[in-house]
Amino acid sequence: MERLVARRRLVLATGLIAAAVVIALLVSSNARHAVALIVAIAVAIVGVTTLAIRGFRQAHPVLSRATLTIVVLDAALFATYFFSSITNFNLAIGAAMSITLLGLSFLTGASGQISLGNSAFMGVGALAVAIWANHHTSTPMAVTLLIAVACGTLVGLLLGLPATRLRGPYLAGMTLAFAVAFTAIVNSFTSWTGGDAGLQLPTAVTPPHWLTSFFNAQTSILRVNTMWLADITIVVTAVAFFFMANLFASRTGRAMRLVRDNEVAAELVGVSLPRARVIAFMVSSAYAALGGALWTLINNSVQPPTFSLALSITILSLVVIGGIGTISGALIGGVIYAYSNNVISWFTQHTGINPQSNLASQLPGIVFGGLLIVTMLFAPMGIAGAAHRLRGRRRVHSPE
Amino acid sequence: MIVVDELSVSYGAVHALRDVSFRAETGMITAVLGANGAGKTTLLRTISGLKEPSNGTITFNEHSLGRQKPENIARLGVGHVPEGRGVISEFTVEENLRLGAMMAKVNLTEGLEEQYQRFPVLGERRKQHAAKLSGGERQMLAMARALIARPTVLLLDEPSLGLAPQVTAQLMHTILDLCSSMGLTVILVEQNASTALRIADRAVILYLGRVVANDVASTIAADEDLRQHYLGKVE
Amino acid sequence: MDPFLTSRIVSDILGGLTNGVIYGLVALSLVLVWRSTGILNFAQGAMPMIATYLGMVVFAHRLGYWPLVIVSIVAGFAVGGVTERVLVRHLYGKPEINPIVVMVGFLIVLEGVAAAIWSTTPRGIPNPFSPIDWQLGGKPIALSPFSVYEIVTALVVMIGVAVLFRFTKLGLQLRASALAPEVSRLLGVRVSRMLTLGWILSTGVGTICTVLVASNFFTGLTPQVMDGIFAFGFIAAAVGGLDSPVGAIVAGVSMGIVLQFVGDFVNSNAIIITALIILIVSLMVRPNGLFTKSTARRV
Repeated sequence: MERLVARRRLVLATGLIAAAVVIALLVSSNARHAVALIVAIAVAIVGVTTLAIRGFRQAHPVLSRATLTIVVLDAALFATYFFSSITNFNLAIGAAMSITLLGLSFLTGASGQISLGNSAFMGVGALAVAIWANHHTSTPMAVTLLIAVACGTLVGLLLGLPATRLRGPYLAGMTLAFAVAFTAIVNSFTSWTGGDAGLQLPTAVTPPHWLTSFFNAQTSILRVNTMWLADITIVVTAVAFFFMANLFASRTGRAMRLVRDNEVAAELVGVSLPRARVIAFMVSSAYAALGGALWTLINNSVQPPTFSLALSITILSLVVIGGIGTISGALIGGVIYAYSNNVISWFTQHTGINPQSNLASQLPGIVFGGLLIVTMLFAPMGIAGAAHRLRGRRRVHSPE
Repeated sequence: MIVVDELSVSYGAVHALRDVSFRAETGMITAVLGANGAGKTTLLRTISGLKEPSNGTITFNEHSLGRQKPENIARLGVGHVPEGRGVISEFTVEENLRLGAMMAKVNLTEGLEEQYQRFPVLGERRKQHAAKLSGGERQMLAMARALIARPTVLLLDEPSLGLAPQVTAQLMHTILDLCSSMGLTVILVEQNASTALRIADRAVILYLGRVVANDVASTIAADEDLRQHYLGKVE
Repeated sequence: MDPFLTSRIVSDILGGLTNGVIYGLVALSLVLVWRSTGILNFAQGAMPMIATYLGMVVFAHRLGYWPLVIVSIVAGFAVGGVTERVLVRHLYGKPEINPIVVMVGFLIVLEGVAAAIWSTTPRGIPNPFSPIDWQLGGKPIALSPFSVYEIVTALVVMIGVAVLFRFTKLGLQLRASALAPEVSRLLGVRVSRMLTLGWILSTGVGTICTVLVASNFFTGLTPQVMDGIFAFGFIAAAVGGLDSPVGAIVAGVSMGIVLQFVGDFVNSNAIIITALIILIVSLMVRPNGLFTKSTARRV
């Protein structure tokens, strides 16, 4: 029976791919487009079919996560071709932010520690990229990103060591102090960090030739550039999420959750409490640094004042609203971050509030703060958590 | 006098007490006995208002206690010395007593002196932090704290827990004294059945939340079967 | 010793003392709310800020400084009480992150509302104390009638709170409600009222502090007026130990003085960096604060 199903699936898949090839050839204006389209559809079909195989997800968890990542990546990269430059830009910024959110979500959800200092870690990553690029212009971008992550991890280690012994409010206090002090530290070394004005990247990130060739001559450089930036960010985001999903399910991840829920039990099992906590801290700072580093690439510059305590609070808020300890929550948070301004301005326009008034300028803050309170009181598991519960409820009621 | 009628208490789906009925008469010691988990502590906590019953009534003289807040029930004159004694370690002996006297319309100095006379050890240690007291001393402090408010009802939850036999014997003697001299209604929960039965007038045995015996203490003490069945090891 | 150096040192001590008592008051109000209800109030600067604005609105300068102060404090009591009843009630017993997030959200909302209604332009509060520093041997020392007013008021409040907690029936009940709520109820203490009272008191203390800060000629009242001070007050509370009112005051005053020296002899950036270092070092030595009696709380 199994083999029959499998063969049928294979036939279906091959048939779909063949149909896709035909359609692609008909639709595309040149060979390049056709090949890209075929590859995109083929990857999607293969990926989805593989995931649909019964028992595949249980038998090969890592591989199935990889497959899912590839399918999603495939769809996203395909979509960026059609998006406007503004959309791609927002997508990139939001995706980078979601990496930072994922790091904090892990720290809070998986290991139960609070941090108000993740904006500073973002700043570390962002500045690392800018400073390194300005002094070593020939380093490939990927390496620079890794350097930024390394810096962030190191700072996370430095802060994580004292953090292991601290309980909730004291930890919050220490990370808050760090966030505030970061601005001062940056201001102390203006020759390196460029002070308030910040630094520019010496060479902007430009798309490779093979990508540019997909567009005709009329397309603006901006359009191609933002697509390329969005693509890079999306790929990095996908890889980061992939690693996190595996980490969460791994022994280390389970150990951390044990530390969060029951310290005594964790110690009995042999988990080193301080070590688990420090590792969690380092992971969250690494991710935050990566997010900040990507921002520098996207913006082609870095402004240190961006990485303030206010940003830290925003990060924590987005994690809470999206859903602590969930992967989808981090993505939701990223989307909210990218589009919140649009939503607010739409709101002010349609409710007749004077856009120049004090109320209008304060509205984002008021709504945001209100959302935080409401979420924490009524839906502490965030949007992702609430969706989870709804789905669970529906499954219970559906006739079996 | 406390009258408990068809009292049922549950924690979610778990029924801790089912249709419990008995009377605790004024001036008498009523022992509540049973194995661990029989519902004895729940009973006391429901009487003093820390837990709400799902069914049934508790009447104290004319007052219906069922759904009142613990602080109001305490102000009616119901003193509850909880499981573990509830002594505030961070306070001194005297601060603990002052707390006990808070709601009562008694003269503080007189009240303190009365307790120091009754429990001289407390008088000696009045300025010490309660954390430094021994088990027996803590029990005395917990009782003095309940007594300083001149209650008419005294609910005692396993006062002999963790105490040496000599200390326990002294404690029981004190309880007996207090009951007769102050005319208290005492409900005494004990795992140590023999100790309780020695000073009690009546006894109620709980088993899995139900009353399985309710009689004069001496009768229950003499019933070997009953004791073996419901009270565990016979001493 | 060099006379300029002496006057500079004296100036720093006095200036630091003035700042320090403010940090100490903020730290004290944080400790009050932590000890009585187990919640870390991130809005500890914002709630009094609203109360002060309310005080200003009601009096609009016409009836003088002291009535404004009194109205603000009363408004502070009200804000504290209402917040506890409506918002904080739902946070007891929840995981540590919940109250922190909710109070941060509350902080953002309050500052936003204040800015929306009254704008971010600083408002001066005319008061009878001159902000001009006195002179010693031709050089200004960092002490003025206004700073003396600040120091004296802060000390009075600190002593008042200490007396309340140690020597009054109310203080006993407040402490008992925080340490052993169930037992306290069995002894007739109206614990939920005590919790509300804890918030009322701590917001009252915070309001006195905010009024002092806002009355400062060089500061004025803005929605963000307490932001930086809250950070330092919070650090002081953490260093001293969230369970220790004495620790809060000592840490606050000490930090005020130390940081004043740092600001003078190094530069202004070094101030918060030093505060961070002090915090990390003290928490490594004693993770629950320097003045907390080390309970057997396992980390």
